[in-house]
Amino acid sequence: MPFGELDRPALARALAQLAEGPDDLVDAFLERVEVVELPASGEPAGVRLRREEGLAVRLCRGEKSWLASRDRLDAEAFVDAVRQVARVYPRAAAPLPPALVRPWGGLPATAELQAFPRQLDRALRERRVAFPYRLSLRRHRRELQVVTPHLLPAAERESWYSYRVELAWGRLGGLLVELGDEAAEVVAGRLAEAFRAREAPPPESATANVVLAPDSTATLLHEAVAHALEADTLAEVGAPEAARGVRLSEARLDVLDDPAGAPHPVRRASDDEGTPVLPRWLLRGGVVDQPLADQRWARRLGGLQPGAGRRESRHRLPAPRSSYLRLLPGEGTLDELVAQAGDGLYLAEPTRGRLDAHSGDFTLAFAHGRRIRDGALHEPVGPCRIAGRFADLLGKVGAVGGKAVPAGAGWCAKGGQRLPVWGAAPELLIGGVEVSS
Amino acid sequence: MKATRAEEHAEAVLAALQRAGLPEAEVYLKEGRSRRLALGLAGAEHQVLVEEGWGVRAGDRRSAFFAAGTGRPEPAGPWPAPQGFPSPLPDPSPVVRWSDPPDLDSPLLTELEAQALLNAVAEALAAELPGATLVEATLEDGSSASTLASSHGIRARWRHRVAWARLVAALPESAPAGAMLGAPVRATVEQGAREARRLQPKALARALADRLAVRARGSLPERESGDVVLAPAVAARLVAALLPLLVGPEARERAAPLVDRAGRIGSPQLSVVDDGRLPNGLLATAVDGEGVPTRAVPLIEGGLYRQPLLAWWQARGGSSTTTGTPAAAPAASARVASGCSARPSFRDLPRPGPTHLFVRPQGGVRPAMLVGDIARGCYLLDVDGPGHFDLAAGRFALPVCGFQLDAGAARRPLAGGWLCGSIGALLRGVAGVARDLAFFPLAGMIGSPTLRITGLEVRAGE
Repeated sequence: MPFGELDRPALARALAQLAEGPDDLVDAFLERVEVVELPASGEPAGVRLRREEGLAVRLCRGEKSWLASRDRLDAEAFVDAVRQVARVYPRAAAPLPPALVRPWGGLPATAELQAFPRQLDRALRERRVAFPYRLSLRRHRRELQVVTPHLLPAAERESWYSYRVELAWGRLGGLLVELGDEAAEVVAGRLAEAFRAREAPPPESATANVVLAPDSTATLLHEAVAHALEADTLAEVGAPEAARGVRLSEARLDVLDDPAGAPHPVRRASDDEGTPVLPRWLLRGGVVDQPLADQRWARRLGGLQPGAGRRESRHRLPAPRSSYLRLLPGEGTLDELVAQAGDGLYLAEPTRGRLDAHSGDFTLAFAHGRRIRDGALHEPVGPCRIAGRFADLLGKVGAVGGKAVPAGAGWCAKGGQRLPVWGAAPELLIGGVEVSS
Repeated sequence: MKATRAEEHAEAVLAALQRAGLPEAEVYLKEGRSRRLALGLAGAEHQVLVEEGWGVRAGDRRSAFFAAGTGRPEPAGPWPAPQGFPSPLPDPSPVVRWSDPPDLDSPLLTELEAQALLNAVAEALAAELPGATLVEATLEDGSSASTLASSHGIRARWRHRVAWARLVAALPESAPAGAMLGAPVRATVEQGAREARRLQPKALARALADRLAVRARGSLPERESGDVVLAPAVAARLVAALLPLLVGPEARERAAPLVDRAGRIGSPQLSVVDDGRLPNGLLATAVDGEGVPTRAVPLIEGGLYRQPLLAWWQARGGSSTTTGTPAAAPAASARVASGCSARPSFRDLPRPGPTHLFVRPQGGVRPAMLVGDIARGCYLLDVDGPGHFDLAAGRFALPVCGFQLDAGAARRPLAGGWLCGSIGALLRGVAGVARDLAFFPLAGMIGSPTLRITGLEVRAGE
């Protein structure tokens, strides 16, 4: 780890001088980010490498926060940032700690990135489909260390991949925790389905029973449960702490944010504020249990557990966000859910979701799906969307599939911060949904 | 002139890259400092950001790499091996004489000044419209300096200084058209200036109050097909939606169905220009992110489609020039390049796009003069959402709010309506252009003055 030789006590002592009382929140956030990209064929510069490091010092006092961030990770930058924050309260004078981080090593290895296009080609051939596509691929590595005057959490490391495929009839993208044949199978499966549905007409606008594929389920829950239960989102429409105990959905839904249960490369023991994470039950039996909160919201409101503070980079303040969203499985196979739906739609490929916190309205768009007729899957259907009040929709859940699989991995943007999110979910049957094309 | 430390460092890195056998090389260094104050539900957030980064692209004529990082690059690397496709670099072009605006050197706002400015907006808003409150406010004030050196001989240094305010206000317990009774009405106003001290709290508050009042008291429009007058915020959004017809190598082909045999795409009143060195332009510089001189390029002139906006490498392969006189319109097949490649940050390769792209205003025409003789129509003040634009089908629908006009005067406020019509009618229906050019950050700085348009419709649904 680059922060292995960090003199945390020296940093903690410097930060301690910023705090005037026990209610002051003071911390330093040190990060190192590396992104390697293989752009799509034909794009300029066939390999792209970005290496960033920097730090931020923060002081929160009452309703005010101060943040000083720097694009350097050295003692001078740290002292400069401490002084910047202390300028508000100039009694602080920080000693110069020793070096913060080891230098970057040599060039990163890219073998798995270079191999993936061939693996994907092979997986597509095995599915007996062939079409032109342009693949761009990135590997993201992030190492971070939070230091507070009192708490010395371990450094955190995350590694994941993002991909983007441009097709003649649209584009498709997502996140992967690792590359290899298994990941190639996942991407090839999505591409093949998109290919088969490329000329499918959109379904007619109607009220229909829908079965959501795991990716669609995870995206729906991300919008309608995770975003809806972020403390800052709740504060826009009322008192966040009052949400606890409110029935939000049909009793079948048990949803939790569980960063420590995420796949190994993105698993977290602490959040971006250094607070230990916990398995956070957002909905237990359909009832709101513990909204997502960071240190600032938890201190301000009481009754909320911190541990869900996330930040895009050192240049942004943390805010409550989910990391790894899980819907506990129920009973039933996909075939059984489809049979239960009778007639309707199977919605497989979510493209985007949006929640309006003020109205409670949400929209979820899909690239394609399949028609359900007489309790069985039939021909593909083209783009469509579902919309409505999220509380209404969650109240119509008819069944939860019996097997949760990795799902819903993607980028989530809110408040100008774009973060990777992960999840696991089974299929979901929802009755009487407004579908429009 | 004495070289700065950044210029010396760029030269050292460039020399090292060439010694490493990378004949095609470009070094970009950027440093910036900004203050940000955000007021909202989370309280007051004061931030001071100091950014320092670099980007290098290098290779040969067959392949290249791009590397970027924070701090300063080590001349010795290590550098990735070039692969894939090359990243072509421009040759130097003469730069028209340029003087940095004097306010580039003014200091950033202090914490207290930033707080005072937003407080002044909140107080002015309460005075303008009792009951209205500022629910979110963000003020960013920053400056940056960029240095560029390339193996093709480009040496450039430019600076930016931008302040930006984004304000969201609410009027509680009112009932806009189509909303639940009791839902608060919200309005957003954004404005930029080179120096934050030039932002006018009272003007910002008035803009917020106007929008809140219209949304709170407005009713759904009847089907209205008289002339519409579009405030800059609405007109600029329409211009932004038309960018695929105006920007990039494929733009001419996309625009072709709208262009007649005489080359006309719009009314004689309509001229659209992109100008990276626009006097008083917020992002005006002598060169773009690749060191190519910026210039004014007429895209539509007197209703005639002249050419799309092209970066130097996009203009290659056809009849092209980078030094033509902007006023001299090229033949239909000629392609004039301009410095229009932006670097959103040191992390990004330069990307061509609009610099200051705008409808050319007509001096001496006050917005009120466009409204005065309208027997019946609409004045549209603001946009309520993203809208739908189908350039292939040639149609659009944009959610709007404003006023119904009767005999040149506002008769009643409108909210929840849609401005609908064909793209062709929008371009050919420009019947009046005012002088009040304003810019908005929509895929570049996109601007328009108030426009009067015939042939569109305002109705209750899209």
